[in-house]
Amino acid sequence: MDYNQSDELAQLQKLSNEYSPEAEGPLVSERISSSAITTEYANGDPVYQIKTAALPQKYSFYRTCRGDGHCGWRAVAFSYFEALQKTGSKQKFFEEETRLRSLANLFLALGHPEHVYEDFAEETYSLLRTIANTNDDGETLLATFNDYGTSMSIITHIKLLTSAWIQTHPEQFAPYVVPQTIQEYCQRSIEAANCEIENVGLSALADVLVKPAGFAVEVLYLDRSPGEEVNTYRFDLTDQHGTVLPASHTLRLLYRPGHYDILYRPEDIPQPIEQPPVFVNLTSTMSEHRPDFHGMAGRDDNLAIPGMSFAFPHQTNWAFNPLYDLPSAPVPTVSQAVPVPAYVPLPVPHQELLPPQSIPMEQPISPPVSQPQPSSIGRNGPFRPCTYEFEINHSSVSLPVFQTSQFKNSHFNVAHYNNPDFQPEAWNPNEEYKHTERSRRNRSQ
Amino acid sequence: MDTIGNQSTSSMAETKTSSPIRASTNNNVTKRLQTELMTLMMSSTPGVSAFPNNGDLLNWTATIVGPDATPYEKLTFKLSFAFPSSYPYTPPTVLFKTPIFHPNIDFSGRICLDILKDKWSAIYNIQSVLLSLQSLLGEPNNASPLNGQAAELWDKDPAEYKRLVLGRHRELTAEELAEGNM
Repeated sequence: MDYNQSDELAQLQKLSNEYSPEAEGPLVSERISSSAITTEYANGDPVYQIKTAALPQKYSFYRTCRGDGHCGWRAVAFSYFEALQKTGSKQKFFEEETRLRSLANLFLALGHPEHVYEDFAEETYSLLRTIANTNDDGETLLATFNDYGTSMSIITHIKLLTSAWIQTHPEQFAPYVVPQTIQEYCQRSIEAANCEIENVGLSALADVLVKPAGFAVEVLYLDRSPGEEVNTYRFDLTDQHGTVLPASHTLRLLYRPGHYDILYRPEDIPQPIEQPPVFVNLTSTMSEHRPDFHGMAGRDDNLAIPGMSFAFPHQTNWAFNPLYDLPSAPVPTVSQAVPVPAYVPLPVPHQELLPPQSIPMEQPISPPVSQPQPSSIGRNGPFRPCTYEFEINHSSVSLPVFQTSQFKNSHFNVAHYNNPDFQPEAWNPNEEYKHTERSRRNRSQ
Repeated sequence: MDTIGNQSTSSMAETKTSSPIRASTNNNVTKRLQTELMTLMMSSTPGVSAFPNNGDLLNWTATIVGPDATPYEKLTFKLSFAFPSSYPYTPPTVLFKTPIFHPNIDFSGRICLDILKDKWSAIYNIQSVLLSLQSLLGEPNNASPLNGQAAELWDKDPAEYKRLVLGRHRELTAEELAEGNM
């Protein structure tokens, strides 16, 4: 090899050493459908094709992290904050800030002066406080992590924590970093500004940051190893005997050689509360949105208050007074409505005291029983005030819906002043007491 | 504490504008370098000093005094520091302005030191870089020299080495210093 050639090679080697692909995209992206990963590999290696095809079924969404050499650190840090926010507990943020501040002891043990880490750590504490007082769907968190300075401060802080944790637990980590010493490893592979997280670092980071907060970490390895699904590795919470403890949340990372992204299972994502459609056939809407109703009903305290469900005074008249006295009328009994409470879980005492009131509310949700009834009620109810309205809407199905927890205080209810057909609600004590008495009578029979 | 609160609020606001990263990055660099300047001024470290050029926080001039019992004893060296907007997450560019004869420093003043390249860490600062450079003067890494002659003479002929060090060293002229201050 003559001199010129080796010089040229050295030049090429130098260029290659200095080459770094231009990292693109946001530091942390919005949550996107993980079918994008499948698409990405559609023309790729068959192993990848198979593995990514199976991915979106289990892990419906993901976030990309910019591949600038910090993506693994960033993915863990972001997911950690996101998991904290998901707990919805202000107290939790406070506990975490206190815990992280107490970890400054690790730095002291290593002889780091305070000024070395305090600026970085302060950004972490400040974000914990900000998110604790923020009530959004993670927009603030995402914006903060896309701010280069702030997110790099937080990343540097957790890297320093990781390094300190490894150096103060040498017996645990030393075997994994040979032939380097713990100190060499930390300096070269943790503290260096531009170094991606490795297994040792990830394990230590899980120990120092994630697990004490009650979260587990799961890494899905998407590589060319044989198999039909991505390999999963978990960093679980364990007690001193190595028994796995349940984690309140699991941070999920997707690892592709040299790069980390964040993955989500469908259940990790807060379900958006769908806006109830405005003027539609409510019968079909009901079945479609059943899960949401389920969630809403749990929050409703007013439902337990007797009389609160009397949104339609006129309806009460036709529904209760005449019909309840007709033995032949196919009125659903309380026992028929029993499967319903799972859907609008009414407190038991309420049902016992006021069985007639609970029936019209539940009619629309037990279709087999209530379907034939509208006609019979419509024909037989002598006190029904508005025949026209009833015919048009098949309203025995749709109107009572407005008394459910979700609609009761909305303008769909004519008792709401924003309703175009607003009718002030009149409470008739005589009627209510009469019902109660009768229901007692019924029960005693 | 108040300043920190304001900083984070302002950076939150900036993320909504068109170029959030640049703005807040500069903000952070400035803040960090101000802190470093304060630290350097409060605690005088013997043999090293640094100060921003004409109030430009991103460009500094530093001075190192050669350590005792080395060929550089009693000599002073001027260096320039240029800080990128991503500092401290990427290293500053450090050059020897004073001509120097050393195995790991070339004739343009460029330095071969791992902590200024891939081993850079955000926990380093101007002071720790200067102290590292000061110790590099007395303990060169002769395995990967930029100046082969110096690496060879370091062990072989200390007297000749010292002669070349002194022969190359000279005080910078006023113009050269001013050039660094641009």
